Amino acid sequence: MNLELKDIYKSFGEKQVLKGISFTAESGKAFGILGRNGAGKTTTIRILMQVFPADSGNVQMDGQPIDYRKTGIGYLPEERGLYPKKKILDQLVYFAQLKGMGRAEAVKSVGWWLSRLGMEQYRDKRLDTLSKGNQQKIQLITALAHDPQIVILDEPFSGLDPVNAMLLKDVVKEEIARGKIVLFSSHQMNYIEEFCDQIAIINNGKTVLKGDLHAIKRNYTRDKLIVFSQQADQIAANAGLSCKACGEGGLMVSLASPDEKQKVMRHLTEHYDIDEIRVFEPSLNDIFVEYTGGQGEEK
Amino acid sequence: MKQFGIILKFELMSYFKNKVFVGITIFLMVLIAVVMFFPRMAVVFERSEPSGDEQKPVMLIAAKEEMTDAAIDMFAAYFADYDVRLVGQSEEIQQQITSGKANCAFALTGPTSYVYYVNNLSMYDQNTYRADEALKSICQMNAMVEGGISAKEAGQILSIEIVHETESLGKDQMQNFFYTYIMIFALYMVILLYGQMVATNVATEKSSRAMEVLITSAKPASMMFGKVIASCLAGFIQLVCVFGSSFVFFNLNQSYWDGNGMIRSIFDVPADLLFYMFLFFILGFFIYAFMFGAVGSTASKLEDINTSVMPITLLFIIAFMVVMFSMSSGNVDSILMIVCSYIPFTSPMAMFTRIAMSTVPWYEIVASVAILIASAVGVGVLSAKIYRVGVLLYGTTPKVGSILKSVWKA
Repeated sequence: MNLELKDIYKSFGEKQVLKGISFTAESGKAFGILGRNGAGKTTTIRILMQVFPADSGNVQMDGQPIDYRKTGIGYLPEERGLYPKKKILDQLVYFAQLKGMGRAEAVKSVGWWLSRLGMEQYRDKRLDTLSKGNQQKIQLITALAHDPQIVILDEPFSGLDPVNAMLLKDVVKEEIARGKIVLFSSHQMNYIEEFCDQIAIINNGKTVLKGDLHAIKRNYTRDKLIVFSQQADQIAANAGLSCKACGEGGLMVSLASPDEKQKVMRHLTEHYDIDEIRVFEPSLNDIFVEYTGGQGEEK
Repeated sequence: MKQFGIILKFELMSYFKNKVFVGITIFLMVLIAVVMFFPRMAVVFERSEPSGDEQKPVMLIAAKEEMTDAAIDMFAAYFADYDVRLVGQSEEIQQQITSGKANCAFALTGPTSYVYYVNNLSMYDQNTYRADEALKSICQMNAMVEGGISAKEAGQILSIEIVHETESLGKDQMQNFFYTYIMIFALYMVILLYGQMVATNVATEKSSRAMEVLITSAKPASMMFGKVIASCLAGFIQLVCVFGSSFVFFNLNQSYWDGNGMIRSIFDVPADLLFYMFLFFILGFFIYAFMFGAVGSTASKLEDINTSVMPITLLFIIAFMVVMFSMSSGNVDSILMIVCSYIPFTSPMAMFTRIAMSTVPWYEIVASVAILIASAVGVGVLSAKIYRVGVLLYGTTPKVGSILKSVWKA
């Protein structure tokens, strides 16, 4: 299965929020949607979930326009919240039923998920008696209980303690292994890097970068070196290179072109006392900042 | 459709699981039971404790000597429900009334004038009318006796009695006033209470962010209609419980209520009127509950609800006032009421009152109901659209204009 968004445009009143969002997510892989606050992530997700229609563009499943009656979608919204005063089992069964499950089936599935997440002792409690982290686990069940083909998780790790984050990681990995399309939206780059094979970066309503994360990193222009040296100050002052300090006492050397790489490396190792020298490979964080930084934050 | 059923069931169950809802319903039923069984219990109570002679209120009469005899006779006849006593001095009167020994007093200052003394003047005090009549009779009597007619004959002439009967060919307002009043009041209470509950319900879902999951799981129209119909059913069931139990308790104690015409007339509701009540309740409820729901969806905090629903509540209260004033004035077919019985926001109460208390041609009823149904559907569809736009807007409550604009575009 693959889910494809093609050239989605959307405006609210005068304000154009999406100006061409396109990406393809495949089953059995996690897909990361990245973007700054107000970039258009939530709007994209809402269009994908048919909360409102796109002005133009379409959503396709395996090349066909998506049929929402056949394709189940599970959604963990960034703004968490369920009915605070209602019993947990009641509301979870209700949400599963709304997604098309029969009652008996819903009760069974919710029961399974409660025990999978270690929450079965709370099934008859009211939601507002639970801690925030536990409420979040309950909310995760609303996204998964009806066994959807597409799972959308918006900032799934925020507010979870390390043990619960681990549990969630395992659950997400299981879902991916079961061949689901998992869409992640997050600002926490380490989680995206850990899970997602593919990413799309959205900025100001446009897809500015998309594709395989490893390929993106590999194809990144290799025109920067990271140098660790006791003589960092001298290198910066005398080597005639454009340098700037980077974390942990290192020095980032920008090259005029990637071809100079070997030459500069040789020059540095011959003339200075070098502890470590390597080609700079950007982290997702660096890529993200490069593609989305610089412009003022829009909302 | 399946989703609608699930939402309806879920919303309805949350009413039945709500302790306040169940508590109030039971409380009202118990209260009605107590009222309805009261005469039966009162009889038992009276038997066990024989009451002494009933004390009549005391009325004092002060008059000039030549008038005292005639005055005391005539006033005793006109005020049979009073213990009429003669006093000499008018100073004594004030003192006795303020001390509570007497209830009221007449000081006759001349053959055709008097002063009426009473401690607190009641709104319904009609003693002066009776006193006027009594004095008039004394004067007429005296005039006739002077003219040569014997006192006995004069007395007969003055006490000629007229017998009359009233036959109402349409509706009898004396009879149907009370039950119409109660039904209108029930309509008013239930629509206002449950309408506000719909608004609060929607706003709660929005402020607790449960909406984020709901809106991606169900169609806004299913949610709006599911909620409104569920609360309509809950309100209707509550009405049936309260009215049904009062009907049952009344019939159990019917013989004890024989003397009370007002209570009897309340339970003498014609079946067709119950049908109209049902019809106008449902339609009126829908039209208001949809509006309440739409407004609830635009409020981003629960605290904003009270101010947001104010215009709707005011509209409804005005409709209620118009109907109530028309009812108590007795003129339920005034131009205002006729106009109101076609405006969908006022017609549930106005048309119902006219049907109950006057004679309305069938085509007027059909026209009014048709307008009401069409508007209820229209308001329902519009409010589902507002709801879809409104629930995703957080922050400040948006302006009416911008909401309608985005609904128009959506």
